[in-house]
Amino acid sequence: MVEENIQQHKKTDELSKNLDKKADAMKALRKSCKNRIDRVAEIVREQKRALKAIRAQLANSPSTIPEIAASTDMPTDIVLWYVAAMKKYGQIAEKEKDDGYYRYSLQGESHVID
Amino acid sequence: MKSIQTTTFDVMVIGGGIAGLQTALDIACQDYSVAVVEKGASIGGKMIRLSKVFPTLDCASCITTPKMAAAAHNDNITLFTCCDVKSIKRERTLSTQNISNSISPQNNNTQRNRFVLKAVVTQRARYVDADKCIGCRKCEYECPVLVSDVEQGGFSARKAISIPFSNAIPQIAVLDADNCMLCGKCEKICPTHAINYFQESYDFVIQANSIVLATGYEMTSLSDKPQYGMGKIPNVIDALQMERLLAPHGPYNRVLRPSDGKEPDSIAYIQCAGSRDRSMGVPYCSRFCCMYAIKQAMLLSGSLPLAEIRIYYMDIRAFGKGYEQFYQNAKAMGIEFVKAKVARVDAGEDGSVTLQYEDQNGYGMVTMNHDLVVASMGVISAWSPKGICNVSQGLDNFIHTINSKLSPTLTDMEGVFVAGAAAGPKDIVDTITEAGSAAIEVSKYLRYLYGKERGLKPVSTISSLKAVA
Ligand SMILES: Cc1cc2nc3c(=O)[nH]c(=O)nc-3n(C[C@H](O)[C@H](O)[C@H](O)COP(=O)(O)OP(=O)(O)OC[C@H]3O[C@@H](n4cnc5c(N)ncnc54)[C@H](O)[C@@H]3O)c2cc1C
Ligand code: SF4
Ligand code: SF4
Repeated sequence: MVEENIQQHKKTDELSKNLDKKADAMKALRKSCKNRIDRVAEIVREQKRALKAIRAQLANSPSTIPEIAASTDMPTDIVLWYVAAMKKYGQIAEKEKDDGYYRYSLQGESHVID
Repeated sequence: MKSIQTTTFDVMVIGGGIAGLQTALDIACQDYSVAVVEKGASIGGKMIRLSKVFPTLDCASCITTPKMAAAAHNDNITLFTCCDVKSIKRERTLSTQNISNSISPQNNNTQRNRFVLKAVVTQRARYVDADKCIGCRKCEYECPVLVSDVEQGGFSARKAISIPFSNAIPQIAVLDADNCMLCGKCEKICPTHAINYFQESYDFVIQANSIVLATGYEMTSLSDKPQYGMGKIPNVIDALQMERLLAPHGPYNRVLRPSDGKEPDSIAYIQCAGSRDRSMGVPYCSRFCCMYAIKQAMLLSGSLPLAEIRIYYMDIRAFGKGYEQFYQNAKAMGIEFVKAKVARVDAGEDGSVTLQYEDQNGYGMVTMNHDLVVASMGVISAWSPKGICNVSQGLDNFIHTINSKLSPTLTDMEGVFVAGAAAGPKDIVDTITEAGSAAIEVSKYLRYLYGKERGLKPVSTISSLKAVA
């Protein structure tokens, strides 16, 4: 029993040493990629703002691309790009057509893209 | 210095499109071992990205996916994806190799001095352990970074880590390091601990007795065409982007105008947009554009029955069996064919596109507006052997074939063959036929080589060897 406990301790010790090593390596990697990380983080912040605005409009009522663009003050092609991505990841669904444009509404788990 | 690992196969096929896969399958079924080296993250080439195919209008994925799966599950075929071929050399070697297709079992242990082909290949890092990844896509759903998805013509997004597309083979995630912010979310959620941010690219050697080049084609870019707006005019797209709009798993799951999501009422095709045009460096005919434009027009008239569809063309080249009938059917469906060369494309009002063309029926310069315009761009070679191996290119930059009438798969480097669009623009029917022909040339060559090694008389009337001689 005592022997087993010692072995267990040794294993946990090794594991935490390995985890420490990995954490250090990750820190070093993040440091060496700082410029890229900052650039992507800025893009992600912008994407989150856009997604939030689109979601807010769709929570009001199912909308067409021009309607979403008008309410979010975003260009229609960019709105369509986000809507296509949100549809792909199960966040929104296509509804009926209205004068040549389809309406979209929220659906599914909203954490998928946020 | 790290030693480079060498793997030995009877044959190496470069390119995992329909030409490469068909060649590999036809060689593998003769019990030769084949390595398929693909630069992309999935095999399938352009064909797996198409919607339906002329002249039968069969679903492209329904034909390509079984071939991809057959190659992936064939014991004689090994797939290498995310790989770049750095060099190919013929080297003299002392052969003690085990030959898979046994002609004369008695002489299996013969040692001889002969030539083999050695390719140095770079395995690019995926940052995902290919042996551990089960393709569950949990990482993809969790990743917070959206990136423009070229697999969907840029009309939708993927994540910084993703499975390349729904029917990709292999189903292994790829992390796009340029767009990753190392947040660690994918690593945390991966059930098999497959994510490895520290993975590095490495070189290895593939040694083979024969190589088949099946590197296919690329399209010229709209950005090279000043008269057509250099890709900056909204709703002017290329034909591969239209294939995605028409595909069942496309970015919008239907055909919409990329500028604002409107269902287009009027769609135009500009033929020879990048071919038969010296200013683009493509003086030749790209061969299959007329047929895919007619196909897409037919599919559009099925999905948008009220839309007006026009094809602006110089000549319609319906070259294959049943193709003329296909063209006539399109006309009967109401697709309008206008004989004209489009001179200019400009942005119109409300997202429309304005075309100016010279009408060949005497109406002079005509201006016309459309909701969506598809440019049939030029077909160019996807790969240059320059600096990699001693295979020559033709004046059109495609792989030069030395006996194009009788044995169109022979190159001027011994043991190296070519199949499909790597040798010039070719539709799927011709590509598959040529792949079969390349496989036969390879097996004749291997029989000659292995037969000689075992002291057998060479197989007579081998066109490949005659041509090399
Ligand atoms: C818009 C459009 C629609 C079309 N529709 C039809 C149709 O309906 N019917 C029809 O018959 N034909 C059609 N075609 C033509 C069809 O796409 C070709 O006939 C076919 O794809 C040729 O196959 P391939 O394997 O030779 O080349 P590709 O499909 O180009 O495959 C080549 C493969 O090689 C890989 N590769 C390239 N370079 C390297 C390298 N250096 N190392 C490793 N791998 C490499 C590529 O990544 C790719 O996977 C269409 C073409 C276009 C553009
Ligand atoms: S890397 Fe992990 S989470 Fe991502 S698809 Fe593979 S197994 Fe799933
Ligand atoms: S580490 Fe990179 S790929 Fe993984 S979830 Fe974060 S941003 Fe996406």
